[in-house]
Amino acid sequence: MRCTFALLAILAAAVSALGCSARQVSFVPPVQEVSAQPLPFKGRLVDGDPGELPAAVAMSLSDNSRVTFSYREELTHDERHVPLIVSAFNPATYAGSPLGDFGVTAFASLSIFDGDAVLGHYTAEAQVSKSYSIYSEPTHREVDRAVRAEVRAKIDQQLRADRDRLARAADAPAKPAADLTQ
Amino acid sequence: MKRWLAAILLGAAPMLAVGCAVQGRPFEPAYSLPDNAVIYVYRPYHFGSSLLRPPVTCGAETAEIGPGGYHAFVVPAGQVICRVEVETADELEIHAQPRAYYVKEEFGWGVLRGHPHLNPMDADMAQTEIQQCCVREP
Repeated sequence: MRCTFALLAILAAAVSALGCSARQVSFVPPVQEVSAQPLPFKGRLVDGDPGELPAAVAMSLSDNSRVTFSYREELTHDERHVPLIVSAFNPATYAGSPLGDFGVTAFASLSIFDGDAVLGHYTAEAQVSKSYSIYSEPTHREVDRAVRAEVRAKIDQQLRADRDRLARAADAPAKPAADLTQ
Repeated sequence: MKRWLAAILLGAAPMLAVGCAVQGRPFEPAYSLPDNAVIYVYRPYHFGSSLLRPPVTCGAETAEIGPGGYHAFVVPAGQVICRVEVETADELEIHAQPRAYYVKEEFGWGVLRGHPHLNPMDADMAQTEIQQCCVREP
């Protein structure tokens, strides 16, 4: 009788624990949502992947401009995994407690040149960390995409804040910005 | 008595099974054309490693990698997606340049079966690890 009661209690505990939703702790630094605007001039991409650019730069691409863009992104992965032997004997594991997290740091740099003159140089860093549990986990691709979007948004913010200065710098050779296209 | 024997055999079976690290030739760098990237996916052997050998796909190529094994995927430079799926799936997007990349395949706990992870690794750490841990599967 006592044994049956103990078994029922263990079963009930397990069922109630399974009812807990898996926690997905995620840390995404807040970035102010802004709609990207094209730059006040067009430019050629000399370094970088045309499909992987901050929105403002992607909107300002041209094949025949003397202004050039150089954009680089680097990802560094920093992961944490609870050892299997530890998590196996931890009851919280079966209740959906995090078993580790996928952390990624992205560094991005954008340089804008007009011939040999540097019109602007921007750098940004972003970090995203997402935890996983026995019940759910993100893919590395999702985390990488999140951090890339984050760092590009930061570059876009800087470009937006520097837009007037960039327009003046591009106009400096006494030509209107539109004439920068050869 | 029979029950005890059954219990011992039941306990011994997994112990024998977990000793199944793959056999093969030691690590050797893969040769590729100058415009290609090489993605080494390796799976260190741990005591109690999962015996699952889910297919790992990188680009157009697929390979099953056992505990203690590695496979070199030679792919054209550009965007490459590596994927593995058991109970859950993991995907990794590599913007491949013509050089070597290292990915460590590991398994975590799952509800019914292990969850595979494709962890991107720094070349410095991975080069040492892959030479110590893993053999090329025939």
